[in-house]
Amino acid sequence: MSFLECRSISKSYDGKHALRDVSFRIEGGDLLSVVGPSGSGKTTLLRIIDGLEKADSGEVFLKGKKISDAPFLHRKIIGMVFQNPVLFNTTVFNNVAYSLRFRREKDETIRKKVDEMLRLLRLYDLRDRRALTLSGGEAQRVALARALVYDPDLLLLDEPTANLDPYNVSIIEETLQKSNRERGTTVIMVTHNIFQAKRLARNVAFMLEGELVEIADSATFFESPKDPRTLSFIRGEMVY
Amino acid sequence: MEGFVRALQILFSGDHEILGITLLSLRVSLTATLLGAAFGIPIGFLVARRDFHGKSVVTTTINTLMGLPPVVVGLVVYLFLSASGPLGFLRLLYTPEAMIIAQMILTFPIVCGITISSVLSLSPKLKETLVSLSAPSSWEARVLLNESRLGLITALIAAFGAAISEVGAIMMVGGNLLGYTRALTTAIMLYTNMGEFATAIALGIILLLIAFGVNLFLTYLQMRSRIKRTT
Amino acid sequence: MSLLKDNKIIFVIIVVAVVIIAAGLAIYYVNKPAAPPRLIIATTTSTVDTGLLDYLKPYFDSKFNANMTWLYLGTGQALEVASRGDADVLLVHDRVREDAFVSSGNGTLRTTVMYNDFVIIGPPSDPANARGTNATAAMIRIAQAGASGNATFVSRGDNSGTNALENRLWTKAGVTANGTWYVSTGSGMAPTIRVANEKGGYTISDRGSFYKLRSTMNASLSLVILCENDTSLLNPYGIILLNSTKYPNIKSDLATDFLLFMVSKQGQSLIGNFTVDGQQLFFPLYGNPESIGLPSENATVNYLNSLLKSRGLE
Repeated sequence: MSFLECRSISKSYDGKHALRDVSFRIEGGDLLSVVGPSGSGKTTLLRIIDGLEKADSGEVFLKGKKISDAPFLHRKIIGMVFQNPVLFNTTVFNNVAYSLRFRREKDETIRKKVDEMLRLLRLYDLRDRRALTLSGGEAQRVALARALVYDPDLLLLDEPTANLDPYNVSIIEETLQKSNRERGTTVIMVTHNIFQAKRLARNVAFMLEGELVEIADSATFFESPKDPRTLSFIRGEMVY
Repeated sequence: MEGFVRALQILFSGDHEILGITLLSLRVSLTATLLGAAFGIPIGFLVARRDFHGKSVVTTTINTLMGLPPVVVGLVVYLFLSASGPLGFLRLLYTPEAMIIAQMILTFPIVCGITISSVLSLSPKLKETLVSLSAPSSWEARVLLNESRLGLITALIAAFGAAISEVGAIMMVGGNLLGYTRALTTAIMLYTNMGEFATAIALGIILLLIAFGVNLFLTYLQMRSRIKRTT
Repeated sequence: MSLLKDNKIIFVIIVVAVVIIAAGLAIYYVNKPAAPPRLIIATTTSTVDTGLLDYLKPYFDSKFNANMTWLYLGTGQALEVASRGDADVLLVHDRVREDAFVSSGNGTLRTTVMYNDFVIIGPPSDPANARGTNATAAMIRIAQAGASGNATFVSRGDNSGTNALENRLWTKAGVTANGTWYVSTGSGMAPTIRVANEKGGYTISDRGSFYKLRSTMNASLSLVILCENDTSLLNPYGIILLNSTKYPNIKSDLATDFLLFMVSKQGQSLIGNFTVDGQQLFFPLYGNPESIGLPSENATVNYLNSLLKSRGLE
């Protein structure tokens, strides 16, 4: 039984196919990067895994159980970082602490965990700032902190470092790696950036027009991909 | 012009009657606003968040009720509270409590309607963020209410503004009795009718100051919330 | 908890609001126990606008340890409100409707207490030539001038006693009052006079309201009295006691006190002494309605006189 399995996931919007029969498996502790051109269905796939949307057909299994049976329960162990995240109109500390508060943790514990997470993402100085006054990079880090603080088994990220300066990119990447290696968080990261995928991922998946074209470990993917389309994409020759 | 001068003299004389009238107006309209909000905000929130049969009918009805003419409300409440009406036994007619009830009927739809539209206009991404954090609904509610707080404050102020400046409802159910149910608006009407313009103007100044002050406050809050991003 | 910190302002607003409400309530309850019983008189605009009731209040309040208050309504509304049991006593000026009220069983007793008079007022230029004639003739002339576009008449049009008197005059004059020259304000006496003033038109007003408005508006009121002292312009007021069986919750004892007060020697002389701008507006008429051509009320008057005697209120 794999950690996460997608079986024949299909989804259409208004007759347009966003996902066609996507199937794959990953094991716990994996760091999977999903690459592909815009509109290839990467975001839709993440949203379906998080249970924000329902697939038209097919099933997602998390730790052997169907997500569609009880999406709420599954979301408790999934953390999601959206593209251009929305933070709450309160302090940075409160934004991150929120998900611990309703998990009924003690104030002491909450303070410790939140501060730890803030330090990890170099946000400690911004602890008491109004979250809505932060820059793009800072906001993204807060969103990551918010999703990580409750130690999810699976972390989903949608273009987490697009449009960020190198400083923010490196902090985020460092944190993802740390989380993956030290805590065993399974990570699925959608990205445009092939170099980032190369840097971080253990396994890479390539999606094109809703189809999962190829999924392989990083080395195989970049050095000897099976599908010509993959090769074309890696080389930057793909016209789309 | 001299009426205006006399009005100022009356204002600064610290006349007890004027103080009583002002305090009564504030008491009635503030209570009506708070009570209207106590019901309007939770109900508005639920209507906005839940999907149910007839949701659009309910929303449209509430929006229509926002424009209830106060004098009509006054007439209907009077008929209910009248000694020969169904609720006559409560002996509430011509009391400040009756005035509060009538004004509550005006404030509730205003608060509820604005709450509904504030919550509905929250970014869907915000709601999805809450879903993905798997917050239970009461915690979701706290965040959503917090995010729509500017809208809620606007609702409160709009409701209070409507209440403190209306005359039709409290005239009918309050009776404008001296020292008891005489509020700013009904007193202004009476003194104007009696030709005592200076007093009427004095009361008018107070009413304007209240209305102006409250709206100034709202504007201040709106400006404050114009968030400045750093880079 | 964090929600509260973020919303300090809302919290402060609510606290301030609650404090104001509490202050209002405190004042209310502090005054409540000591408060003398409240009498609610359903009356019409002329008794209020002239200040007559304000003048009488301290006398009544101190003599009967009460708190005299009044609902400021038109005659029609006053009768309606009283018929619903929402007032304790009636003080109105429309004999026809007063009698109907009593015969319907809603009221048990009515008596005439005073009268005031109405005046026909209009622009000093008097285009309709209404000056100096009797009331009926004046109304005919105003209607004729109106029909030929030279005059305007402004009516209260609010079902009040004044309005009823106006309509009786039109009937007596044989005129159907409508057309562009006939304006209906649907309001009280002062607003109606002001509209007439703006338009340079004619109207009928009780003398008291006219004097009172004149003393406030001074030179800005250009209208003058063109016709007065005609018997058809006399306007008697009656007090009606409500049926206490039908309306068990009204303060019928206090209402009787008020009636006795108004018809007692003291009350009647107070009414006569009340002046506005040096002019007497109301004329005591209790026990003597025949003097202005009204039917006698001997039975009621005798009854009330004996009541006055037994209460020592002569």
